[in-house]
Amino acid sequence: MAEYSRLASGQVVSTGGQTLVITPFIPDFIAIDNQTRLVAGAGVTNASWNTDMGQGAAVLSTFGTGSQFIAPVGGTSSGALVSGTGFTTIQAGLSLQYGAVYQHTGSTDFSISKAAAAVITTTSNHNLTTGNWVIFQNLAQTSTTGMQQIAGIPFMITVLSPTTFSIPWNTNQSNYTAFNTSTSTGNVGSFKQILFPVLYAPGDSIISAITTGTTTTIVTTAPHNYVVGQEVAFRIPSVWGTTQLNSLPNATIPGSPIYGFVVSVTNSTTFVVNINSTGFTAFNTNIPFLSFVGLKFAQVVAVGDVNTGGLQISSGSQLFPSPQVFNGYTSSTTVGTNTINGPAIQGAFFNATFQGFVIGTSIAGTAADVIFWRAYLHDLNT
Amino acid sequence: MAQITTTSSLGPLILQSLAPAMLYVPTPTMNNIIVCDKVSMPPNGGTTCRFMRPRALQPPTIQLGNSGIDPPAQVPQKDIIDAQMAFFGTGCIINEQVILQDQEGVLAWVSERLAVSMRQAEDLILRDYIVSAASEINAGGGSNGDNPTNLGLSDFSLVATTLDTNNAFKFMSGIEGMDRFGTGPIRSSYFMLASTELQTDFDSLVGQGVFNNWNYPNNTSALPSEWGSVFNLRILTSSEAPVARGASANAQDVYFNAVMGKQAITHIDQDGYSMNLIYRDPYYSGMLAQNATLAVKFAQAQALTQDTAIRNLLCTRLSSIAGP
Repeated sequence: MAEYSRLASGQVVSTGGQTLVITPFIPDFIAIDNQTRLVAGAGVTNASWNTDMGQGAAVLSTFGTGSQFIAPVGGTSSGALVSGTGFTTIQAGLSLQYGAVYQHTGSTDFSISKAAAAVITTTSNHNLTTGNWVIFQNLAQTSTTGMQQIAGIPFMITVLSPTTFSIPWNTNQSNYTAFNTSTSTGNVGSFKQILFPVLYAPGDSIISAITTGTTTTIVTTAPHNYVVGQEVAFRIPSVWGTTQLNSLPNATIPGSPIYGFVVSVTNSTTFVVNINSTGFTAFNTNIPFLSFVGLKFAQVVAVGDVNTGGLQISSGSQLFPSPQVFNGYTSSTTVGTNTINGPAIQGAFFNATFQGFVIGTSIAGTAADVIFWRAYLHDLNT
Repeated sequence: MAQITTTSSLGPLILQSLAPAMLYVPTPTMNNIIVCDKVSMPPNGGTTCRFMRPRALQPPTIQLGNSGIDPPAQVPQKDIIDAQMAFFGTGCIINEQVILQDQEGVLAWVSERLAVSMRQAEDLILRDYIVSAASEINAGGGSNGDNPTNLGLSDFSLVATTLDTNNAFKFMSGIEGMDRFGTGPIRSSYFMLASTELQTDFDSLVGQGVFNNWNYPNNTSALPSEWGSVFNLRILTSSEAPVARGASANAQDVYFNAVMGKQAITHIDQDGYSMNLIYRDPYYSGMLAQNATLAVKFAQAQALTQDTAIRNLLCTRLSSIAGP
């Protein structure tokens, strides 16, 4: 035997929540040892999973407690462990897939605050990690108030606590009303994780803020995956204000698109383009609630690049690194995850599909924990 | 009592007979590859395919006058678009006992399935790439009060107008009207790649500028997956067109309808590496040579080569008709 089995091992730094491990196959057995927790003598020190247990399950060992079982979603777990928060294999090959819907259920609710970076507060653990993407639906507090203006927009979240996270959107404006599923008409409102938001990059992003000036700073709702030298085009409907950035029309050379070039990247959702936007109309996100019907969003899209080389070598990197991407599981907002392909020109369109497994929130330890992992795909499973 | 010999007393030795033809495999139409430009990277050409598009020069609309002084020179510029090649593959391990004992030529039909799976992968990669790379227009001309709304006539008009204003090139020339009942002239058109689930909405718009391909004066130019035409768009439908389930503002399904002109998307292979079917005899497996392998692999990259010539027209449906 062992002719067709697959074996892989490695180490990963925990995000403190969902932690992605990319492997060249979908394993049917996973085991992890958390070195940091073992040294500290606290928390989940080891965990394992067999495919027959079901997605989201795990056998874990907590220091001082012994072995326990996390069941798949809907199953019965040991003690107070949350089912479905163990290991999950993932095959990120097709887009537009979503996680479980979080909404009013009688035991769960969530609210969205009016704040410059809106804060979402859930009544139970949201089980999300910084870098995850979410999308909201039905944010109508009443028929005429709420935050439906941002429903349908993909947002990268920043986790503030197990029951709070923020999104890069200013809801502290007159046309937004604080939202809460426990008091909304019909208890409507929901959000869900976008499981594989970046299978191809760079791409189209929705703009949440623009700072005009001799250069122009753009903030997107989720990672843009642009690099210095990226050529970009803007699509800004008039309701958002800064239409002068649009690639067309061109008053000087009719028909010729006007593009900008990225001159610096601040983080995964902020970059600066070389367009002098002094005097341009201010960007406006204070959209009236009832205008959400058919609302067209302001976007920026990658159209090319002026680069000649690939990603530069860095400490610990390969000699010819593959492109980096913020793929929905990258907790850092400044350094992306290397894709599984080879080197490419920076700014090129590249494939960021992947497969592997996610170490779930109940077994991932705390942020920066060093976890050693093994993953197997056996020849035989009976 | 008559002594009738029945199959109960004299049963056939062999109870089954394999029908002469295999049943068809439900397979979505693959429309994305149809609308792509095709480019082949040369061997030893590196990892990345590079495209160059010159920029337009400013037309000299100011007269020279009589000063005798030349106007300032212009600096020609160009745009560069890069796309990285990626490799894909899948296969099956088939025990020799299967090959030896099965009656229906397992190697033949598995080869065919692998080929189709590879072509479907090619199309799905293009589909998801277009979802990620092309900018979006949310439909707003419909009446369902959602964001995006269902498709209204103004949405078709808006997206075609946008591409026209961007000087995109249409794929199809028009079809002249003929003296046939129920038909009408068809405009020169861009392609719109839509979901079969939207056909109920298209049907509800027939007679309002929307033509099913059976209402073309002559439908010989209609593609097999072509549902019909509206204004300057010819609509190709597929059951695998991208749909974001429950993702609209009101939690309805969002359909991504890619509307494009020529050269909007380019499909790139490397030195004919596309479509490699690989058969390995059981001889190459373990010491007893028990297992054969059949596999396919291919190389593919894709790029948005004319960003001005493509838009994703997002929409929901008129009503929440139950899905298939």
